[in-house]
Amino acid sequence: MLYGKEKSEVEAHFPELHFVVENDLVFVRGIFPVMFEAQKLDRYSVELQLARNHPAGLPVVRETGGRIPRHIDRHIVAADGTACVLLPDERWRLWPVGSPLLKYLTGPLHSFFLAQTAVEEGQPWPFGQWAHGAKGIFQFYRELLKTSDLRVMTTYLDYLAAKKVKGHWPCPCRNGRKLRDCHFDHVKDLREKISRKTAERSLAILRRAGESAIEMNEPNPPGHP
Amino acid sequence: MTADEYLNEVLASQALGDDSEEVKALQKHRADVEKLIRDSFKDTALTIRYAGSKAKGTMNKESYDLDIISYVSSGDNTSGDTLEDIYNNHKNALAKKYYVEPKGSVLRLKGCGPENLGVDFHIDVVPGRFTDETKTDAYLYQSGGDKKRLKTNLDVHLDYVRDSGVIEAIRLAKLWKVRNGVPIRTFVLELAIIKLLEDKKNKSLSAQMEHFWTELRDDSADLTVEDPANPNGNDLSKCLGDNLKSQLVTAAKCTLEQIDSSGWEAVFGKTEKQEKAARVEILRRAAAVATPSRPWLPEA
Repeated sequence: MLYGKEKSEVEAHFPELHFVVENDLVFVRGIFPVMFEAQKLDRYSVELQLARNHPAGLPVVRETGGRIPRHIDRHIVAADGTACVLLPDERWRLWPVGSPLLKYLTGPLHSFFLAQTAVEEGQPWPFGQWAHGAKGIFQFYRELLKTSDLRVMTTYLDYLAAKKVKGHWPCPCRNGRKLRDCHFDHVKDLREKISRKTAERSLAILRRAGESAIEMNEPNPPGHP
Repeated sequence: MTADEYLNEVLASQALGDDSEEVKALQKHRADVEKLIRDSFKDTALTIRYAGSKAKGTMNKESYDLDIISYVSSGDNTSGDTLEDIYNNHKNALAKKYYVEPKGSVLRLKGCGPENLGVDFHIDVVPGRFTDETKTDAYLYQSGGDKKRLKTNLDVHLDYVRDSGVIEAIRLAKLWKVRNGVPIRTFVLELAIIKLLEDKKNKSLSAQMEHFWTELRDDSADLTVEDPANPNGNDLSKCLGDNLKSQLVTAAKCTLEQIDSSGWEAVFGKTEKQEKAARVEILRRAAAVATPSRPWLPEA
């Protein structure tokens, strides 16, 4: 049912993309255009492998034309050619869970390939880029929580990864107050946006990297909530 | 940007440096061609050199050929008794690796393998024989036409163009010829522009080009050129016939009107630099309205 709806929506919008089912997996293959004002600025050969739990999971994207170098600086994994389109923690902003696949294609995926074209032209990443690995996660939460304090971040992530949060827990902002008297609404809001699984993963990556791997010498960004 | 700045940008975007992919590919073929010929004529003293636009400095990226001369010493019959034999034996030698298309005095090389069948490599091999021990004048075989032998002198041709003082105008005229589909032989075009700009060498490039087209438009009927290597022997009048002159008049008239109404860009289009700037600008505008999304790689 969902497959048929997604298929017709996507194929109507992107006539050169086609759905293929292989070994119980759904692939979307073909030519992905980079558009602006009805003008085709560029085109890429792509393959999207939809997650088994689509649309909850993120698709695996590959540029199959061999045009983008398989290099970390181009956000392509050298080993398998997968494109790192977005940071899962940021998904709620770009392709919230429950959104149709078409929104992913016209949103973050389009921006990814538009950025690749700009970089190919010798331009900087038009929307910026997250640093690789733990540092990128650190940058994201630094912007989101407006703090460079890794302890604050990891406590927030702990709370996002927890099955439940309790109001008597200490607030992650470390001001000594209880959560219910401080950032409770903020934590609640983030728990709706960032999945427990994603938070768990980011927490593990940050902890594994440790403070030494993440340069935290930058001051707190303004407006810490 | 002034007209001359624009024209110089056009020329810069058409430049083919020795480190360009196109020239590297040509140089590789040149090495292969020379080996094929030398291996086939081991006992022959051959002079193999670049000729044409590569040697004259008039190559344009948009349309380029590599001319390679392969001249036998005077009195050397080891690669063939007659000019026709030399021509055909070169053709057979080159056919071991290329599809060879005879074209007048030259042998045009194309691909003959399954991966490049019919691909034009832009290479012309010109077999010939020096007329004497000075190795200056040479005879070429002509596969078409009434006259089977053509006397020429490579160095005179090269010097005539290289020392003309109007190399830039020649390159622009060649580009104009290609873009307007004017079927004039490049060598004849070179001779014509050198003649028409003889007393305009100190003018700006744009003034030279406007003068060239004005002359073509208004006085093509009287235009004649002669081969500097053999002014009396080689009749080039057939290369500048009435039909061609009529096409030159039309193209020149149209070009001057384009400059007048729409400026120089209407003639040669946007330069690479302008095109790149326009592309970057449109990408910037596209990014301004796109979902701002930053890529991330899980592991550094």
